[in-house]
Amino acid sequence: MNGLPLASVRPIGLLDDPSERLAAAFDAHQERLFRLARRLTSNRDDALDLVQETFLRAARNPASIPVGLMGEEAWLVRVLINIRRDQWRRTVVRERHDPEMKPSSWSSGHQEDAVIARTTVWRALDALAPRRRAVVVMHELEGLTPPAIASLLGISAVTVRWHLSMGRRDLTRLVTSPKRESHEDR
Amino acid sequence: MKTVSDLLREADPVRQEPSLGEADRDRLRRAIRAGGSRATGRSSRWAPGPVAFVAAVALILFGALAIGSRLWSPGGATLQAAVRFEARLAEDGPGAGLREVQLSGSRTPIYLHQEVIVSNEDVAQSRVVAADDAAHFNIALQFTTAGAEKMRQATADHVGRPIAVLIDGEVVMAPRLRSPIGESALVTGDFTRSQAERIANGIGLK
Repeated sequence: MNGLPLASVRPIGLLDDPSERLAAAFDAHQERLFRLARRLTSNRDDALDLVQETFLRAARNPASIPVGLMGEEAWLVRVLINIRRDQWRRTVVRERHDPEMKPSSWSSGHQEDAVIARTTVWRALDALAPRRRAVVVMHELEGLTPPAIASLLGISAVTVRWHLSMGRRDLTRLVTSPKRESHEDR
Repeated sequence: MKTVSDLLREADPVRQEPSLGEADRDRLRRAIRAGGSRATGRSSRWAPGPVAFVAAVALILFGALAIGSRLWSPGGATLQAAVRFEARLAEDGPGAGLREVQLSGSRTPIYLHQEVIVSNEDVAQSRVVAADDAAHFNIALQFTTAGAEKMRQATADHVGRPIAVLIDGEVVMAPRLRSPIGESALVTGDFTRSQAERIANGIGLK
């Protein structure tokens, strides 16, 4: 007994059958990917769709998935963020050219302050590009260090720290400015 | 006064909502299994997404068959036509000033910027290089100083988004930029040596 909780998880690279490789990857990483997906999206359904699309990408090309749990995780996380980035860009383009799609207001006068604060900060996260958002949530909510995030995303720790700094700055600005906007809306 | 970190932790939906349930897992497993089955033997199609896992620093992928078929004249082994080569920035969605075009071999549209970043005149050298598997060949493009500068400026803020490769006005491939392109780019595909030579030579005919 080695006491390792992941001892039953088979490294994907050791499985010849692509469907088995995929099943093993799903079992090993679905929880972690769902948590990240939920923190990168506005609602639970979008998060589930994001996880599904990530594994579908893996299903299309299982040979691309690296061997080993760490490599698998990093590969899947990057795929997930890339998919989210594509979705985010399409939304941004649509909103830019279709003002009716823009959220009308970030807060409602009928909501409690605490709810307003939570809604506001999460809406502010929506304004961050997905990679920057991923860096922020990995650090702030998952507790990962910049070097760990850098390793996971395949970028330098300096870049991670830059994203963190810019992300915090953007969030602070976005969290404080909507109050004025909502007053103007009303 | 709460910090942004405090607000984020309070707003974190993962702490407020139930985790992934068995019904969710079943739904995902079914969808993935179905998708995995369809993937077996499926014909290749262009799909927007993480093409960024290609190993090269800046990689332009050409549709080998698309280009090859344009250059390879049946029964005309000695025919060598000039190839009009262009690279343009592109987007996944529509926008002002963007032109929607259909990608060769795909029903997915892509939206081209009007400006041509580089064309034949910006290619200083195009040569055939062996691919890793020794059975196929790639084309290495070396841009002129002006071409490299144009590529660098155009692609610096475009990482993660598509760049379209046009041959004689037709988009044959629109890979995603993994990093800004500078002096050179590698054109990869399942080219035979003679196909790669014809493409390289065709780009060189200005």
